[in-house]
Amino acid sequence: MRLAYNFDWGVLWRAPYGVWLLQGIWLTIQLGLIAWIIALVLGVILGTMRIAPWPWVRRLATAYVEVFRNVPFLVQLFFWYFAGPMLFGQTLMFKINAISGLNYYVAIVGLGLYTASRVAEHVRAGFASIARDQFQAALSTGLTEIQMYRFVIIPYALRIIIPPLTTEFLTIFKNSSVAMTIGVAETTFMTYKIDSETFHGLEATTGAMVVYLLIGLGVVKLMGMIESRFRIAGLVGRK
Amino acid sequence: MFDAVWRNLPYLLAGYWVTVKLTFFALIGGITLGILVGLGRISKRKWIYYTVTFYVNLIRNIPLILVIFWFYFVMPIIVGRPMDPFPSAVISFIIFEATYFGEILRAGYQSVSRDLIQAAYSTGMTYWQTTRYILVPIAFRRMLPSMITQSIVTYQDTSLAFVIGLPELVRRTSIVDGLEVRSIQLFGFVAVVFFITCYLGSIVSRRFEVQKERGF
Amino acid sequence: MIEIREMSKWYGDFQVLSRIDEVIHRGQTVVVCGPSGSGKSTLLRCINGLEPFQEGEVLVDGVSVSDPSTNLYQLRQKIGMVFQRFELYPHMTALQNITLAPIKVKKKSREEAGKKAMELLARVGIPDKASSFPANLSGGQQQRVAIARALAMEPEVMMFDEPTSALDPEMIKEVLDVMIDLAKGGMTMVVVSHEMGFAREVADEIIFMDEGKIIERGTGEEFFKNPKSERTKDFLSKILI
Repeated sequence: MRLAYNFDWGVLWRAPYGVWLLQGIWLTIQLGLIAWIIALVLGVILGTMRIAPWPWVRRLATAYVEVFRNVPFLVQLFFWYFAGPMLFGQTLMFKINAISGLNYYVAIVGLGLYTASRVAEHVRAGFASIARDQFQAALSTGLTEIQMYRFVIIPYALRIIIPPLTTEFLTIFKNSSVAMTIGVAETTFMTYKIDSETFHGLEATTGAMVVYLLIGLGVVKLMGMIESRFRIAGLVGRK
Repeated sequence: MFDAVWRNLPYLLAGYWVTVKLTFFALIGGITLGILVGLGRISKRKWIYYTVTFYVNLIRNIPLILVIFWFYFVMPIIVGRPMDPFPSAVISFIIFEATYFGEILRAGYQSVSRDLIQAAYSTGMTYWQTTRYILVPIAFRRMLPSMITQSIVTYQDTSLAFVIGLPELVRRTSIVDGLEVRSIQLFGFVAVVFFITCYLGSIVSRRFEVQKERGF
Repeated sequence: MIEIREMSKWYGDFQVLSRIDEVIHRGQTVVVCGPSGSGKSTLLRCINGLEPFQEGEVLVDGVSVSDPSTNLYQLRQKIGMVFQRFELYPHMTALQNITLAPIKVKKKSREEAGKKAMELLARVGIPDKASSFPANLSGGQQQRVAIARALAMEPEVMMFDEPTSALDPEMIKEVLDVMIDLAKGGMTMVVVSHEMGFAREVADEIIFMDEGKIIERGTGEEFFKNPKSERTKDFLSKILI
């Protein structure tokens, strides 16, 4: 079969394309890591709120999770980027839009807020899997609810949910690619850019796939190390 | 209040129709291929297992946008001429979503006890008969909630076909936004549309989950 | 020490406890037995405020449990509780399990709490397991750590919710021995259990509960030899060999 196409794998490392790709990779890593920190902190708070004894706290957290889960991430990003500044009124809007690299910040925050809703669900599921008697045992020694959560329940739950959190960590890097739609020059954006200059998008895309695979391997390795470090003796780990 | 939306409603709704069509084809193809993927992942034959596992692990580690791009670049080479975004998107989605449905199905298959399968074999049924009449129906009911959830995810993911210019809802909204610059209204509208549809979908899924507890 | 007056509890429409009346004096050991679902475990949890109740009163050392102004956390420091499934914190060592509450609630220093914890571990017979995690301990050892954990707060009452029901037969004795020791040492104890040998040896009073009500009370041999109610006779015949 004769393909009407000349492969040119050199686009992956020839300057300036190789440099572009590297810059893109660096941005992908930044996006993923910073957004992950936001997502973790916010997610644990939200997940804990979901099982709080006060109904309005629970409802607030549930509303957050439902909104951020049921709207596609791309739509969320567009909303924050295009409509977001307008929410602050005319004068502030112009100031905000003038910030250079605005799309970068919006992407990180947007990604963090979105992923936080998913982390919150895993945290809630983690709590739900802990037997009620464990809560009661802690309380029976005189600990307050806050002490119980802080020293017994949350550390325990976090360890249980390391496997689903690993998946979420992987997903955050994949979702970072959506930021290209608002012009953030990360890996996938660069792929597109290379193609528009060289028409060798196939090679560029394949290269990008390898990049994401490697990031994925890194994440799994990292979380595996964390899992063994914090392993609870006797609990069944991932098979 | 939502005047920009009303003015462009027909245009936007036509875009939503594309969204729905893409979701439909993606689901049909994704689930069909997914059934095979799931079976492949529990196959005893080494070469099937390794090929399918490689494919699944590859796809699940890369972003959907990239897969969409990849097929958009690949298809013209194979077919010999530039390709329309819709078929390209459909194929990308089928290939992508099949891995996720495949894993759900695999988990469903494995939850059906071996003893039940062996009981079927002992009455003389072949592998395909057992699979078709016993394994798939029982596993299917168990997996329904996850399948619905994944379908909702697919529906949301169609927005990513934006990047190859597919005129679905989000792309059309951003085009209108370029003209009208009523971003809050327009993107708010899209967000609400997705929110309502997905939320309803998740309620349906939860209904099945309750049934699952009671039934098989 | 503990007074329960006409206490009733409902879960929705279902009545779990019905007009419970009981007085437990300091130093007494009371054993509660009965079929499952009779409300025994719930009764214990109402005493230390882990479960609310709708009617009646529970007084611990004069303090009303259901009074909104009562500080439940302080109250719980006086009541130690041991659970059927041990409920040790799986991510902490035995020592850490025991010292957590003394450090965080009683504000003791690490050294002080650690010293007391080691004493308690020695008292329950396993000082060498201080740095072991629960998963590496046998059921009997875990339960003994749980008892030490409850004792670490220097409670005035100890409550046990079927402490040996989840144990393999060969480990039941080691836990019961610790409990007998405690009872003989003068601790006020409320024990939900089917271990009638234990009841015979140390119980000052035995209560039989069924369907949320106290059916019969007795002391020692009287209870076993001449149960007054049919249901008590029926239950005893099933669990006594």
